[in-house]
Amino acid sequence: MVDSKQQWKAWLYLSPAIAILLVFTVWPIFNTVRMSLLEGYSGLKAAAGMTFEFGLGNFQKVIEYRRFLQCLQNTALLCVLTVPVSTLLALLIAVALNSIKPLQKILQTIFFLPYVTNSIAIGMVFAAMFNIVGSFYGTENEIIVTAGIINNVIEFFGGKPVNWINYGSTYVANITVMVVYIVWNALPFKILVLLGGLQSINKQYYDAAKVDGTPRRRVFARITVPLLSPMLAYVIITGFIGGFKEYTSIVGIFGEQMGPPDDAGRLNTMVGFIYDALSTNSQGRASAAALILFGIILAVTLFNNNVIKKHTHY
Amino acid sequence: MRRLLAMLMLVVLVVSMLAACGGSGNNSTDGNKQAVANFDVPEGGYDGSAVEITFYHTMGQNLRDVLDFYITEFNKLYPNIKIVSEQVGGYDDVREQISTEIPAGNQPNIAYCYPDHVALYNLAGAVTTLDNLIASKVEVTRADGSKEIVGLTDEQKADFIEGYYNEGKQFGDDLMYTLPLSKSTEVLYYNKTFFDANGLTVPTTWDELEKVCEQIKKIDAESIPLGYDSEANWFITMCEQSKSPYTSAKEDHYLFNNDTNKAFVKKFNDWYNKGYLTTQTLYGAYTSGLFTAQEGIKSYMSIGSSAGATHQRPDKVDGNYPFEVGIATIPQLSADNKKVISQGPSLCIFQKSNPQEVMASWLFVKFLTTNVDFQAEFGMASGYVPVLKSVGQNEVYAEYLKSADGGDYVSALAAKVCLDQQDAYYTSPAFNGSSTARDQVGALMSKCLVLTSDIDKQIDNAFQDAIDECEYNG
Amino acid sequence: MDKRVMKAKNMQQASLRSRTGKLTVQFFTYLFLIVMALIVLFPFYWMIISSLKTLEEYRLNVPTFWPKRIMFSNYAEAFTTANLGDLFVNTMIVGVSSTLLSLIITVLSAFAFARLEFKGRDTLFTLLLATMMIPGELFTITNYTTVTQLNWMNTYTVLVVPFLVSVFYIFLLRQNFLQIPNELYLAAKVDGTSDIKYLWKVMVPLALPTLISITILKMMGAWNSYMWPRLVANDEAHRLITNGLRNAFTTTSGDVNYPVQMAAVALVSAPLFLVFIFLRKYIMAGVSRSGIKG
Repeated sequence: MVDSKQQWKAWLYLSPAIAILLVFTVWPIFNTVRMSLLEGYSGLKAAAGMTFEFGLGNFQKVIEYRRFLQCLQNTALLCVLTVPVSTLLALLIAVALNSIKPLQKILQTIFFLPYVTNSIAIGMVFAAMFNIVGSFYGTENEIIVTAGIINNVIEFFGGKPVNWINYGSTYVANITVMVVYIVWNALPFKILVLLGGLQSINKQYYDAAKVDGTPRRRVFARITVPLLSPMLAYVIITGFIGGFKEYTSIVGIFGEQMGPPDDAGRLNTMVGFIYDALSTNSQGRASAAALILFGIILAVTLFNNNVIKKHTHY
Repeated sequence: MRRLLAMLMLVVLVVSMLAACGGSGNNSTDGNKQAVANFDVPEGGYDGSAVEITFYHTMGQNLRDVLDFYITEFNKLYPNIKIVSEQVGGYDDVREQISTEIPAGNQPNIAYCYPDHVALYNLAGAVTTLDNLIASKVEVTRADGSKEIVGLTDEQKADFIEGYYNEGKQFGDDLMYTLPLSKSTEVLYYNKTFFDANGLTVPTTWDELEKVCEQIKKIDAESIPLGYDSEANWFITMCEQSKSPYTSAKEDHYLFNNDTNKAFVKKFNDWYNKGYLTTQTLYGAYTSGLFTAQEGIKSYMSIGSSAGATHQRPDKVDGNYPFEVGIATIPQLSADNKKVISQGPSLCIFQKSNPQEVMASWLFVKFLTTNVDFQAEFGMASGYVPVLKSVGQNEVYAEYLKSADGGDYVSALAAKVCLDQQDAYYTSPAFNGSSTARDQVGALMSKCLVLTSDIDKQIDNAFQDAIDECEYNG
Repeated sequence: MDKRVMKAKNMQQASLRSRTGKLTVQFFTYLFLIVMALIVLFPFYWMIISSLKTLEEYRLNVPTFWPKRIMFSNYAEAFTTANLGDLFVNTMIVGVSSTLLSLIITVLSAFAFARLEFKGRDTLFTLLLATMMIPGELFTITNYTTVTQLNWMNTYTVLVVPFLVSVFYIFLLRQNFLQIPNELYLAAKVDGTSDIKYLWKVMVPLALPTLISITILKMMGAWNSYMWPRLVANDEAHRLITNGLRNAFTTTSGDVNYPVQMAAVALVSAPLFLVFIFLRKYIMAGVSRSGIKG
């Protein structure tokens, strides 16, 4: 039953949001669809008065790209690997932070610090962490000036250094670096959201569990996780959406080449492809790629939503 | 499920709607412009009216100070032309900003540019051709009562270093779109102290370079004799030196897949495998760091930007430089076809509905590029090379060049070498996609250098891949 | 042995085990947190030491973990080179106004989605979620044309309005509101309490941690936004902090003087950090005292 007073009230409350979204989100989306359907559309050419044929040529061109599947694979792989790892880690950290008494304030403050760390600094650290400075790997002339912080740690524990990102590095090593980087980057935000969520769980539930003598693991599984599920859902869904848009992080580590020096483009993603197209002002192709990506994300999100709905407790 | 259906319906709706509008605008015309200058000097030239000129650049504070001083000087001649200078960010930022602004008609009047930027802006035909302006004999009166011819005099034209000036008309239609502001090139830095001590001669050709590398390896087996900063520059310069095609601004842009080019790539692969050289991406850090290293692995030669001379100078130890830096022209294939790359910003003027704005912009651009004092001062402040031959007439600059040495005044030394090789500058054709070609040949080079087996076939593949990528993006 | 004695003994052992178990758990909790804290802190540490290096040291092939020569002068240079004061004020104006407006819009929308029944609610919500999935870069060109036509160039409006609505935040807050029992709302309605009063008195306090998270994210957004401000309001009077910092420290040869830039970043981050420490208290205290629900 829907009463009419609620009807107009709802639309009244929503009106500012809808007005702004219509102008700055919906209209650009329509424009994106329009550009994707005009073959070879370029904003600059259009400004010169050129007109474009209507058709699906842009979509065809995107799919024909020789590395299209590679882009898709990288995008999917990064999503599938980073979202669970970062969510789980953030959850553990948030719960741990919430469970301690001494040092709690200091540790909480420390986990806020990454917010005030500029992204340039983060990029710089990673260069120092994984980058081997040297030359001629795997030959008799091999020279290593510095193996990078991570390899120093590995060697300290008696392991063999790994070629992470330089030429001759493997795809697996490259992806590992990206996963570590993305997880690391995503942690602070997720911790913040989950910690906020944990704070809103009523203490009474825990008190009751204490009285019953419920073991920790059960409290975690039966109280914490279910009551935190809306926040978890949020973190997972936004994580997936963010993962599908991965691009700047790869540029941060591998540079514009999007891959190790001997295999440029190996780590390119869908959004990387969109940027490439935009750099030659090929907005038609960029829009088509964006809509393909949108289709994929939409499917995954709907799937996620359905799964999450079944397991989320309001 | 119902929601999904709703979404699909929406998509169908939008598609059909757009199909309807799209159908009407189907008569596509060719974007290719006729090679006709797109700007005519209005009668009377600049009429003295008040205009505001926006100038996008990438200058840091110290350069802005120089610029501001000369804007004041310019305003003594033309008080009604207000120059608003805006540092937009880096070169890429300028390009992105302007290509977003053009469709909305908000582009600036003047901008720092690289040739590929201009090619991009020209998709919209947004850049003013300078031909009629340069040729114009119209006189304008300045505030101090003196007269100025709008165009460039023959002396002014001849004063530009030819290679720099010609960059303005490499867009495939023989029209002039830019004037050079300040330039840099690649030079060979070498450890003069080491070369002198071991009786080595500075290589002028690639063959000599190979021999020197061999000698250095005998003296210091641990070393990597040569560090090369930019693989892309290397590839393109080799094309020029061997007169082998790289790209063209006309149809069929990408011409670099040929046997000459494969041959030099293969030769360098051999050198790499002998441990003679490395590049920035392969080494994983600035090659200048290798060149200036005091311990561990070193290099004794480094090919890098002339504007980065101070980075090629070692840190002082106990108040003295550990070694003296020498600078020379990069190695050549033959002495009668000397080629070195020309880089650094030029200036372009954008089309505006008010021709007076274009006129005012031109007067300012002309002022900056032909003013010896500005060129001298800007060159000294930036580490870039002035674009005028007569810059030595400026006393301060002449003094600066005289002070050139391998230590405190290493920038002056670099500038001197650059001015001495002024006949050797080349620039590559520019078109929408020329920067993709540059990226691709750079990637190709680093990929091929490290090959150790099945080299010929792998090189063939790498060339083909690079061509494919270029043609896809172009 | 008597069964009872055995049971007592077992119980004693069990409690001992549980106590040592508890200690072990505590130990590992702290160990885990401290290790993670160190990892998370590393970039921050890197920012600080980089800000104290010379440019030459920063460019070394083998990075140093502690500056060989500490350059406090980088901070002085940062302060004098960039117009930090103005940049800071501009960023605060944009940050605070967009945060406040955004919070109001978000609360109203989330409330409508969580509590009010209206036709097409779920569809609209899904559509909103879907808009998050298109890479924003594609919007830039269209939005640029829009704000040009609205004549908003070089105003605070253009920095604030286009990004006021975040579907992210609406979604987050709606999830939070959904947790609050509907009975409270119905009871309030019976009492004749207005929606706004109910929102302000009940919903907002209960959702305070989320609202603070949103505040933090929004403020950080103002601090980090780069592309859009550069495009639409890059004049002296409206320039924001990131734009100011990115451009101010270009050296003669076109390189960025990273140490000085880092010093500037550290400088402008300091007030932000203080705000966080202040807000942290609220996140932690916000709800634990309000035992309304349950």
